[in-house]
Parts: sequence; C-alpha cells; structure tokens
Amino acid sequence: MRIRPIAKFWSAFLKICFEILCIVPISWICGRGHSNFIATSTTITGLQTREIVQSLVVTPGKDFNSKFGHYRHSDLIGMPYGSKVGSRTGKGFIHVLRPTPELWTMALPHRTQILYIADISFIISYLDIRRGSRVIEAGTGSGSFSHSVARSIGPSGHLWSYEFHEARAKKAREEFAQHGMSDIVTLTHQNVCKDGFNLTDAVDSVFLDLPAPWDAVEHAKQALRKDRTTRICCFSPCMEQVLRTVSALNDAGFSDITMYETLVRPHDVAQVPALQSITEVAEKLKKAEGVREIKRLQQIAAGQRSRENPHGEKRKRNEVGGHDELPVAAVEDSGSGKRLKTDDEMDDAQDADVSRSLDEPSAQAACAPPPKISVSKAIPEVRGHTSYLTFAALLPPMPPALPKDTNSQGEQTS
Amino acid sequence: MSASTDSNTRTSTIQSGNTIIFRLPNGDPKGVKIDKGSTVSLGRFGAFHANELINEPFGRSYDIVDKKLILIPPRSLAEVEDTDATNEYINDGEFVQPLTLGEIQTLKQSGAHASEIIKMQIEQHANYSLKTEYSKEKYKKRKEAKYSKTFTTIEPTLFNVCEYWFQKDPARIRDIRIDALSQILNMANIRPGGRYLAVDDASGLIVSGILERMGGKAAALLTWTYFTTESPPAYPVMVTMNFTSETVAPLSSLNWAATDQNYTPVGPPIDIPSEKIKSDRQKSRLDKRKAAIDLLNSTREELFAGEFDALIVASENEPYSILEALIPFVAGSGSIVVQSPYGQILSDLHTKLRALPGYLCPSVTEVWLRRYQILPGRTHPTMNTSGTGGFILHAIKVYNDESANAITSHRRQKPSANTSNTSGKIIIVADEADASMGDADESV
Repeated sequence: MRIRPIAKFWSAFLKICFEILCIVPISWICGRGHSNFIATSTTITGLQTREIVQSLVVTPGKDFNSKFGHYRHSDLIGMPYGSKVGSRTGKGFIHVLRPTPELWTMALPHRTQILYIADISFIISYLDIRRGSRVIEAGTGSGSFSHSVARSIGPSGHLWSYEFHEARAKKAREEFAQHGMSDIVTLTHQNVCKDGFNLTDAVDSVFLDLPAPWDAVEHAKQALRKDRTTRICCFSPCMEQVLRTVSALNDAGFSDITMYETLVRPHDVAQVPALQSITEVAEKLKKAEGVREIKRLQQIAAGQRSRENPHGEKRKRNEVGGHDELPVAAVEDSGSGKRLKTDDEMDDAQDADVSRSLDEPSAQAACAPPPKISVSKAIPEVRGHTSYLTFAALLPPMPPALPKDTNSQGEQTS
Repeated sequence: MSASTDSNTRTSTIQSGNTIIFRLPNGDPKGVKIDKGSTVSLGRFGAFHANELINEPFGRSYDIVDKKLILIPPRSLAEVEDTDATNEYINDGEFVQPLTLGEIQTLKQSGAHASEIIKMQIEQHANYSLKTEYSKEKYKKRKEAKYSKTFTTIEPTLFNVCEYWFQKDPARIRDIRIDALSQILNMANIRPGGRYLAVDDASGLIVSGILERMGGKAAALLTWTYFTTESPPAYPVMVTMNFTSETVAPLSSLNWAATDQNYTPVGPPIDIPSEKIKSDRQKSRLDKRKAAIDLLNSTREELFAGEFDALIVASENEPYSILEALIPFVAGSGSIVVQSPYGQILSDLHTKLRALPGYLCPSVTEVWLRRYQILPGRTHPTMNTSGTGGFILHAIKVYNDESANAITSHRRQKPSANTSNTSGKIIIVADEADASMGDADESV
C-alpha cells in the first residue's frame, strides 16, 4: 500500500516521458479486424516525450532499445492495447497504444510543415467530410491531414492525394500502404497547378495546401461534382495569399467565401495552496500585536514585582519574565506554555486565549498543509498562427430554364 | 441523383419532412419544417408554398414574389472602386432622406421590389454622393437587410447545424462551438464502424456529431439520459440534422441507475399464466413492458461487454463520477474526451486524473477561433465574435502495471533537465510531484 502513491507519481511522470503506440497495418484507420490485442507483424510508434513520438513495426525477433529501456517486439504480441510494459532490465516502461490519426500526427516523420488537430478537425467539419465522402488533397506533404480524412471517410469513401515532390510522394505512398490505407487513398505524383487533378465532376470537396492555390482553383472546379453543393478549403499562412485566392475563387464562380483562423490554447493545471484572504492576514497581525503587547505588559509587571518583592515566590516561578532581559521574540517562543500555569487568574485566561489562537494555525500548518486548489492558465508560449483557412462553396449551376418556368412547375406539383 | 455514391446520413436534396435552416435577409438563421402541401412562413419576409423547395439542392437563394420563389444566382464579391470621397462633409443628424416611412410602406404594398425601394431612397438621399464607395456599399447592405425578401437554404451539415444552434441558443448546447465539436470528434477518433459511449447534455449536439461521423454503419452509440426512455431520446439538435433512420440506428440510451451492474430493472412478472391475462389490452400492455425491459437489458449487456472505443462527456453532472462509472467499459488505449464551458471544472478533473495511473496524458485545452470578413479591400476579423467555445479535457485509458519501474538515472537528472531543455509540459509534471512523494520514493 505504501508503494502506491509512488508508483502513481512515477507513472504520471513517465507517461509523459515515454510511450509507445502500436499500429496494426490493415486495421488502424478503417476499423477492420477490430482486435483489441496486438498481433504479429504490426507497426508501432513510440513517444519520447509528449510531443515527440516515434514509430516502428512489431516484428517478432526484433528488439526495441532506447534510453527508456529494452523491449522485445515478441513480448508485446498478445498484449491488450493500452498496456504498460516494463523494460526487460526492470528500469523504465512504455505504454502500448492503438494508433489513431491524432497520435500519428504526433509521431509522423516531418517532411514538410504539417497540419495539427485544430486546423484538421475544423477543415473536416467545414468541408462536410464524413463516411463515403470523396475528397481531393494537394499536396500530400507529410500525410497528417490524409490520415484524418481516411479515418473519417472510411472504406466507402475515397481520397485523391497529389504531391509534386517525388521523394515525398514515394514516402507517403509507403506509409499509406503500411497503414492499410492503399484502397482508400490514391496518391499521384503530379503538379496540380500545372496539370490539374485528372478528375471531372467527381469529388465532394477539395483541400489545397499549396504555395499558389489560386493556380489550382479552376482545376478544382472541374474536379468538383456539380449536382450538389461542394466545398473547397485553401490553407495559406499569409494574408497576401488569401487575397489572391479569394479573388481567384470569386472569378471561378465560387460563393460564400469566408475565412477563419483556429488554434488550440493548451492550459497548465497546477495545484496551489488555497489563497489567504487579507482579513486573515490582518487578523493574524492584530493577534500577534496583541500578544506582544500582553507580553510587554507582563514584563513590565514582572519587573515591578521583582523590584517590590526581590525574593518573593512569584519571581522564582516566573523566571522567564524579563529577568534575563530576553528579546521579546525569544520570550514569545519559549514562554507561553510555562507561564500559562503560573500566571494569576486574569492574565492566565487572556494569555491562554491569545496564545491558543496564535498557536493553532501554526500547528495546523506544521502537520497539515493548507488545502490546495486547482488552477489553470494558458501556457505562456504557444503556437500563435498556423494558416488562414479560406473556404468557399460551389453551388450546382442554375437550371437552364427561366425562373418563371421553375415557378409554374412548382405550381403543378402543388 | 447519384444518391448511391453519397454519404447516406441524410438526403442531398430538400425533402418533405425535413427541418430546414433558412438564412433570412437580415442574416439570422431560422429553422422551419417543410411538409408537402404546406405553406412556409418566414415572418415579415413573406411566405411561400413548401412544394417549391422539395427536391431542390441545398444552398440556393430565392426571392419571394407573390408567394412564389424565384431562384437567384449566388452572389459574387464586387470590387469597390476607390474614390476621393471622404466623410468630411457628412454630419450626424442632418435631414437627408425626404422619402417618408409612409411612402415606403405604400411602395412595399404596391409590390415594389426591394431593389426599387433602395434605388429610390438612394436617389432622394441628400448626401449619398458624398459617401465613400465603402460607405455606399454598407448603406445598400443595410437597406437590403430591411426590404429584401431573399433567403438561402442552409445545408444541414454538422458545421452549419452547430453554427445555427450556437447562434440561436449557445447555453442549450453547452457553448460548444463548431471548432470545439470538431476537435472533440477527432480526439475521440470517431469513424465509421466504431463503438462509443457518450453523455450528452448538449441537446444532442455531441450525439449528432458522432452519428454523422459513424455514417450509419452498424455499430453502437450508448448515451445517458436522466430517465429511461423506450426509444432513443429525442434530441432537438438531431431534428435539424435530418438524419435517415439508418444513421440513427446505432443509438440507444440508458439511465444512471441501469448503469450499475447490480441493479435489477423493475419489470413485469415474467411468467404470468396465460389464463390470468384477462384482456387483449392487458396483454399488449404486458408485451410492451416486456419489450422495453428486453431493450434495456440488451443495452445493458452491450455496455457491460465493454471495449468501447471512446467515451465523450458533455454533461451537467460531476465529470469524475461519470468517468468512474464508465471507464471500465472503455477499451485500453481508448480516448476519454470531456467538454465543459468552464475551465475550472476541467482543472479539478485534471488534478484528479493526473494522480491516477489509468489515465494517460490528461490535458486541458481551450478552443480559439476567429472569423474574417472577406470583401475586396475590406478584409479584417469580424467586429463581433464569440468569446469562447469551451474547454476540452483529453486522456487515454491505459492499464497500469505496478511492477514496471521508472528509470532511476532519468529520475535523478530530472530537476536540472527541466530547466534547460524540456518543454513546458514536463516542467509542470515535475513541479506537481510533491516533495513528500519524492522523499517516499527514495526509501523504496
């Protein structure tokens, strides 16, 4: 039982320091083969701190070594996700987690600037990406957004992803395959600003994370289906880009053009002693003053008594009472207990009262710290800007018939 | 329509029985149920026959003329010409508009189009020509909001529905702004085919979001209500989502008493000899009660089978008590996401969870969103904006292993490492460690 809080504390610390998450290639995005246990030949990702995550494949026979301990891949097989695993050396441990696009965003090797949860989740909502959606993204970059989209659309949807950088495209294709997303994502190595998307009236939404999205707007319009309202998002860090994009979107016939910025504000939660009111502070000061005054009077009285009655009994009992000319502070420290018993009735009562009220809070402070409260504040240094999210909608084209005809049709049906 | 390739959570065109959100000329949203053969009234903006909207795609704008709809093309952004005009010669309180209210009323009654009324007002306006082009645009826009009868149908996407409710009554959806809802759904890893637990006191906004992302794929979503209901709770937000029945199918609900494994639901006697059943009415009543109990029991079995992918909480009740009750049914590595409009509630919860080994990396975040006005030459953040979208706590469920030990060397260098090279997060964790706990550790 004694060990529990310690274990708690260390796990709390190491949780942050080191975690591992596991990725089952065929199942992790789409939920197929929905096992809660780690199987042979799985991909794993490990987390060095909360912000740094690394990934590896669970391969029987392989070892995983780091400064946080030594682990055999084969030991992980058959464990439930979420398990805490101790190192073989007995020092250090890891947590084994089921992969999610959010963890992957923390784990993925950065090849480009990547999108984080605030932008990703907001774009997915605005673009109305859900099961079965057909989506275009350009460029693929490091694949952070791709994983989230693939998770949301599932096997009945499709993501066409375009990357103009050949090596990045290759890398991303490998990752998609390893994560079992190959049948959901089609990755094309292509410069969409020059060559377009090779799709016509095919997709529900387009996401452009390109240096010059305005060059791809007409291509995007061609790829979007025309039988219902479709949407586009352009992700640009600079206002100048936004303005050019807006004007390109407007010229291409997009409507409802709007722009957002979104961020996450992480908060630090701390436990601090309950705050003392100034009334309490003032009370303490008053009491301390009162006690000092009483003691001063007592010293004077004792001095007088000793002068009047130099060999009397009282003086003996009241040794501390100023005879040694101790400073007031010292008297306060050592005096109260003894004097309480010896002083005459009136002084006794008063002094005891004062001393007790003075002693109690300090006694409490010694054995039980004041109650703590949880407080939080935004952490001092945060990401202040990612990109501007420019959105627009493309409405189905106006019916060729004159508005009057539409009206008479409406009348016929009614 | 290529409905087969569509996501099938809702129809892609307006159908009879839908609850449609309209954007009125003054910018306000209004939810109206569309029934075949009925008349849709948009208050002072006019009325029209519902049939005219049926089978129309979402997002189009219409003018109401004589109870009929005229489709109007989407608006494009117009460049504003820069002129030398300033407001130098325009003073407040001057008499500028000779057109009287009565005259305008007469014009309106005579069926004059909004654009005609505005044109007349402009012609008679004494100082209109002195205005800057930007000011003229604003003037026209203000007048349009007043006289125009143009409305737009809003597609019931999760984004639009959330925005509608947030504008209409944020308290009813626990101040969950769309950016917060989006983050909650992503953090909880909602996907087709998942199984989720949700506690939704946000009028069904959370449930709607989860159902939308599950996409009607056979799976489970358990929610909690105060009272047991025989059918899934009628959430007001879900009505505006216009879900198909397939989409809503995974939803079932429990009350808090039935969540206790030791609880036995009070039901009808199981074996009543058939001769004792006196009437058909009594029989159907008994059958109904039995069906309700069976449903409750099967929902409880589903819950107790556990291994849910995530737990999402947006509740008026004390959040830790909810986690305590439901955490056993969450699968290892599953996400726990708790929303609150109040940071303090999540700070307290965070303090509790951080001390427990079963919750990995609890974190509290606040959402932040800024919208911009996009007009040529006039791009800036909107002047009025929502101040907050709420707070979110996220943690991952893990299984503790008491025998797993920390690394001693790492522990020793911790205090110095914190100050030099690690992130803010880790410093906090180290600070949080009580000195007494650290001492106790040495003695082991």
